[in-house]
Amino acid sequence: MSATAIKTAKPFANPYVAGTLLGIVLFMAFLLTGNGLGASGPINRMLVFIEDIIAPQHVNTTPYLIPMGGGSTNPLDNAFVFLTIGILIGGFTSGYFHNRLSFTTGKGPRITNKTRWGMAFLGGMLMGYGARFARGCTSGQGLSGGAVLSVGSWVFLLAVFAGAYGVAHLLRKLWT
Amino acid sequence: MMEQLLQAFPGPLPLEAMYGKLVFYFIAMLIGVAFGYTLEIGGFGQSTKLAAQFYLTDMTVFKVMFTGIIVAMVLIFGASALGWLDYGRVFVNPTYLWPGIVGGLIMGVGFVIGGF
Repeated sequence: MSATAIKTAKPFANPYVAGTLLGIVLFMAFLLTGNGLGASGPINRMLVFIEDIIAPQHVNTTPYLIPMGGGSTNPLDNAFVFLTIGILIGGFTSGYFHNRLSFTTGKGPRITNKTRWGMAFLGGMLMGYGARFARGCTSGQGLSGGAVLSVGSWVFLLAVFAGAYGVAHLLRKLWT
Repeated sequence: MMEQLLQAFPGPLPLEAMYGKLVFYFIAMLIGVAFGYTLEIGGFGQSTKLAAQFYLTDMTVFKVMFTGIIVAMVLIFGASALGWLDYGRVFVNPTYLWPGIVGGLIMGVGFVIGGF
């Protein structure tokens, strides 16, 4: 019995413990690099990398894209790109050691998997668009800017939660 | 000893100038590993847990995020006061008020729709 028993997933850490560790990691990022944490910027750079292969002329002439991929500049030649790769490794490692690795579709009981996947894609598009609009995501703008007391970052954080709570009731079928 | 060293060479460290790009990028990756690990142990790898924040059935997102921000804030300003961190060289996100509000609202909607 014990030989075939499936390893059960370990419970998550206490949120205040996880939050404290997160704060220490964020501080270390500032202490070592002068920058906080970020995730949307590097994903943007990965897209610019592909864009640069398909339409280099566009990248070379668009003011927003020139610093990232203009001329011979490689959009992936950036510390945050490696930080993002690290996030994937770290998350996977933790999932592995806590028996939480699995292929599952997290959703409410009233929708199908396909609906959930479609919504995940749509939500991802909005997150990407919003993050570029706000010059950062919940990591780069929210956590990092929040910790160094940037006014704009706190306004951004409030707007994220206002937007989410504003539509949560309408979209309750997705999750409850 | 450690204190004198920190005060003599306050952060942020010019890692790229000191050790070259490869070491700098590797350290950035290690910071990312620690970030991903702490997010996962907090439950941020599970969309249902994140979405539950918006139905007030699980307050993990608030607890982890704001604990993280406050702890980092205290450490950053404490280290600056002790001269261990040169706040003048720390990146502080410039404020773009309306783009922040509009982008934030769009992201909030995306958060509930997408679950992450």
